[in-house]
Amino acid sequence: MSSKRHSTAPSAPKPPVHLSSHLTIADSAQLTGTHLIEIRGESVVHPRARLESSAGRIAVGRRCVVHERATVGAAPSAGGVSGRVAAAGADGGGGVVAVTLAECVTVEVGAVIEAGETVIGEGTVVGVGARVGARAVVGKHCTLTPYTEIAAGEVVPDFTVVYSNGLRRTDKRGVAELKNKGLARQIDVLKRMIPSNPAKFA
Amino acid sequence: MSSRRPPRGEYIETDTGNKVARKATLVGTQNIMLGGKTVIQPEVMIRGDLIRTIQASSQSASGAAPNNTAVSIGRYCFLSRGCCLRPPGRLYNGAFTFMPLRMGDHVFVGPGSVVQAASVGSHVHIGAKVSIGELAIIKEYVRILDGTVVPPNMVIPSFSIVAGQPARLIGEVPEGGHEAFELRDLYKTAGNNPQPMPI
Repeated sequence: MSSKRHSTAPSAPKPPVHLSSHLTIADSAQLTGTHLIEIRGESVVHPRARLESSAGRIAVGRRCVVHERATVGAAPSAGGVSGRVAAAGADGGGGVVAVTLAECVTVEVGAVIEAGETVIGEGTVVGVGARVGARAVVGKHCTLTPYTEIAAGEVVPDFTVVYSNGLRRTDKRGVAELKNKGLARQIDVLKRMIPSNPAKFA
Repeated sequence: MSSRRPPRGEYIETDTGNKVARKATLVGTQNIMLGGKTVIQPEVMIRGDLIRTIQASSQSASGAAPNNTAVSIGRYCFLSRGCCLRPPGRLYNGAFTFMPLRMGDHVFVGPGSVVQAASVGSHVHIGAKVSIGELAIIKEYVRILDGTVVPPNMVIPSFSIVAGQPARLIGEVPEGGHEAFELRDLYKTAGNNPQPMPI
């Protein structure tokens, strides 16, 4: 008897992927689902991050960082709107983009982005353990602090800072450029640090 | 033959008394230092692969071997199910680098918490679903209640109780209250042959 136990369930079929050649994706990242997962160049997917495309396409822009245990494209939690979204995703087939991450988006540890035409704008940081509901549209350069919840279908304007107690304010510091520069530096370091294995998912 | 082999337990117990769950995810184990008698429950994640890329100038000048420890944990620490320890990152002289995460002795980390502190002192209790922001410094004998969000760079003084989002000081550890931070008994309740908690 071998000492390693293997799962008896057959492994799920790999989703079709479109990975840029300049991206860093850890070996233990999980890509599941049936629709296309597209990740553009210079993005970093940490170990144990999950991207699920069962409800529609997942599009990740340039220079995004998806941290460990984050879930992009999770099944929407029970709710009136979410049921409709799930149905729409099933009907639309490959045409529906379940989750769109624009450029320079950071999805931190344990954050969940639900599927269903959810859009996260450029330069936005989704904090530790935050949850973005289905159909929500988060603007550019927003900051969702740890454990915030964005309701399904909500629209968050650009430069908003959302606190987990529901408080909101507008970021007027004008540091979006600097933040993106910092992120680029971080990606440079992560690129060298995380062993990338895009071939596993292709 | 196989019957003589001891049964595979849920935990791996090391010579120094660390109890590490088989279902814990430790990335970059060569950069994780465990002081001994530390319990790591299942589904814990420790990012040891995020090492410091820029050494402090004093070290590089002396020519000493670079210290690659990403996460160092003291004795009698207890990492509950689903928590995550990761070294904080920062810009240092215009370049990005991760900094080591140092943790003292008798540190309890609650389930589902994410710790990105620069240092956590000894005898610290971190509740469930707590987020500790990057480069926060937590001194000795601190109690962080459940659901607290400690913002990045916050310094929490000794003997304080903090809670809220963002974290605020809500009280002090009462005199004589420091004995509640002792984790020796909790250590015995975990592992392959756990013992009941003494009352």
